[in-house]
Amino acid sequence: MTIDLTQFHDAFFEESFEALDSMEAALLKLDIGAPDSELINTIFRVAHSIKGGSATFGFADIASFTHSLETLLDELRSGGMQVTLSISDLLLKSVDVMRAMLRSVQAKQPLDAQRVSDLQFDLELIIAQKNAAAATTHTVMPAAIAHLAASSAPASCAAAAASPPAELASASSAAATGAAAAKSAQRRWEISFRPYRELFARGNDPLRMMRELTELGELDVNVDLSGLPSFAELDPQACYLAWTVGLTGDVSEESIRQVFEWAEGDCDLVVRLLDAPVAVPATVRASEPEPTSAANPVVADAILSASAPPQETKADLAVPAHAAAPALSVVKQDSKADAPLSALGDSGSIRVSVEKIDELMNTVGELVITQAMLSQLGAAMEGPNAEKLRAGLAQLERNTRELQESVMRVRMLPISFVFSRFPRMVRDLAQRLNKQIDLKLTGEQTELDKTVLEKIGDPLVHLVRNSIDHGIESPEVRVAAGKSPAGTVHLDACHRGGNIAVEVSDDGGGLDKDRILAKARARGLVGPTDVLTDDQIHDLIFVPGFSTADKTTDLSGRGVGMDVVRRNVKELGGKIELRSERGRGSRFIITLPLTLAIVDGQSVAVGTETYIIPLISIVESMRLKEASISRLSGRNEVFSFRGDYLPIIRLHELFGVEPRARALHEGLVVIAEGDGRRVGLFVDDLLGQQQVVIKSLEANYGHVEGVSGATILGDGSVALILDVTGIIHAASLRAAA
Amino acid sequence: MNKRKQGAVPRTTRRGRPARTAPAVATEYKPASGPFAVAAECTVADASSLKVGLAKLLDDTDIVTLDISAVQRIDTAGLQLIAMFVREREARGRQVKWQGAAPVLATAAELLGLGSLLKLPALAETSK
Repeated sequence: MTIDLTQFHDAFFEESFEALDSMEAALLKLDIGAPDSELINTIFRVAHSIKGGSATFGFADIASFTHSLETLLDELRSGGMQVTLSISDLLLKSVDVMRAMLRSVQAKQPLDAQRVSDLQFDLELIIAQKNAAAATTHTVMPAAIAHLAASSAPASCAAAAASPPAELASASSAAATGAAAAKSAQRRWEISFRPYRELFARGNDPLRMMRELTELGELDVNVDLSGLPSFAELDPQACYLAWTVGLTGDVSEESIRQVFEWAEGDCDLVVRLLDAPVAVPATVRASEPEPTSAANPVVADAILSASAPPQETKADLAVPAHAAAPALSVVKQDSKADAPLSALGDSGSIRVSVEKIDELMNTVGELVITQAMLSQLGAAMEGPNAEKLRAGLAQLERNTRELQESVMRVRMLPISFVFSRFPRMVRDLAQRLNKQIDLKLTGEQTELDKTVLEKIGDPLVHLVRNSIDHGIESPEVRVAAGKSPAGTVHLDACHRGGNIAVEVSDDGGGLDKDRILAKARARGLVGPTDVLTDDQIHDLIFVPGFSTADKTTDLSGRGVGMDVVRRNVKELGGKIELRSERGRGSRFIITLPLTLAIVDGQSVAVGTETYIIPLISIVESMRLKEASISRLSGRNEVFSFRGDYLPIIRLHELFGVEPRARALHEGLVVIAEGDGRRVGLFVDDLLGQQQVVIKSLEANYGHVEGVSGATILGDGSVALILDVTGIIHAASLRAAA
Repeated sequence: MNKRKQGAVPRTTRRGRPARTAPAVATEYKPASGPFAVAAECTVADASSLKVGLAKLLDDTDIVTLDISAVQRIDTAGLQLIAMFVREREARGRQVKWQGAAPVLATAAELLGLGSLLKLPALAETSK
């Protein structure tokens, strides 16, 4: 039986793609000329990690490419080269190429090898050119450079000799570190590295890490064999060894930790500084001090007992193996589902499949219904224990609510997951269109449900593209209009009530209303004599196939887009608004529900029916006095509310239900807000507040204006959840009719 | 200072193609008669078959000779297994001897602090 490394590919790909995203983000933040060394380190670490991982899994092309990339990055990191615009471009292209390579390996599809080798050539060329310039001044080249110089310029074979083959690195490390020690302060570190059993299975190899450590300084490796089971019980794919490594060298803790970076989450790592830096003479002795004589088992025993408690017997040793065996068999049986789950992220996070979360959500939803049912039963209960029961039920309700909130939070992700793709896109588009564009991102930490998040990405891309292509003018036009040559595209997200508002705005030319109207007239969408409001004109751009662009580009102008954007947003239960001012720019505001699963509701009675009004839409509830009510022309009724007059919508009329109260002063009005407007909803009575699980009406029945869904009440009956915006819309249509 | 070079890419050429061309040799087991030839590949992927081969030798009353001359690639998993075997043999008072030399194995054993346990040819006298 051999271990199948492919089962760990998923985790590797997932981590690598994430790492590439962060590399790209760091590259975009990089200032030309004065780069932040932390950013360069981040970029370097990504390349290094991917190189290590792909080498482990045998993706030789990726390893080779990332090696060239890493060499260049190393130069930037050490200050040997400066970050120029062309290098920054090259690095961004490298990100693309690495993504493409990983994807092609992942999909087992052929790769555009020419593209890869061209770019790799470019990378190497830059380094080679730099080296050619520096060759005369550097007596000892860093090995990575020497390596490249040797390949690109055969003349410098002397330099190549300075680069030891990887396998023999340790042999020369003593000499190398000895030389380094002469000129700098040495520090003594103690590294306790205790891998978990599954370290190998994750594609990590301590040997590789030790090899890298030898390049940092001089090592004193002590292996701890106490974790080893008996030979028969040993799982050949589990790691039982642990190490305590003494490292002497002029190194920082960070660079030590970098060596173990890829194993993070698969081991316990303690890096401890033994003493403060001391200047040491150049004659530092090499590693592995114990000279071992030929066939002397005593020495081996001594080393063993030094690290393992001497009283430990075979039976003791066998214990960890038993513990490890079932855990590992799980990995083997269920590796597909397990691998992403067990891949540990930076901050002690775990990956959980979305299905599991959805299942959890569903169960919690059912729990909420059951709890509501019990509460209702408990309220009617009488007898000696009724109070206790109600106290228990109150507790249950609190706990259910907390559980539900926790589960909801699990599903929430910051919108930066979507926003992060824009800096690159904007940069590329701006370059292509010869426009200067500043992208401003705010509210990136605003969290929303993952399902909503996934579906909002594409509409936002459309809007941002539109802003850049149609909105922002060319620098010349902008300067002529008295604006700064660089346009601004602003992406903002914030919570507004129970919704999230995502705004894409630009300070470009704004919509050309006359042209839109002319085009609409030409297409017969608008009658030649119709007079439209600004909002109605703006609405035209959401009509399928509508475009005012003079020429079609691959960016926009084909008239597909805005209608798709609006449809997508509506499918999410959200809405999109547009404000635009000629010459000043446009703002698209997308309002989305935070989640699609549960809502806090106020139940109200109308006749024999119960309706749920989402709490977020409710401003307050009150009983009206006759004096505050005015009747306008027709059947329209308004009442005064804090200096405003609000229309009254009688729910029984809207839904055709026989009410208990007809006179306004007999019932109650619930003042609700939707679409920026307030209305009074006239109901018979208020029943109570509760959380309700939304069951889609569309999926089970069909869309009803003014109703966003349905729920099952504690007594098993169905109540409709009202959509205040829809009600206002429906009522204004009735009033107009 | 902290240059990290080829270290992370084991035995590949600059263009990333595997330098090694020899196919992985299957672990052979010849009962007591001759040395046990350790395969060219001693990595985590081959550890299971290596374990099967070594397990049969564990209780061999004769001196077991491991021929490591073919070993081209080894990782911690492979080395852990070999070290485990040697340790267990020694615990039973039985010897393990080495035949041939494998620089890769010797370097790896040193790096992992297992050199003194294995007493490999590079460090110690061999039976050869």
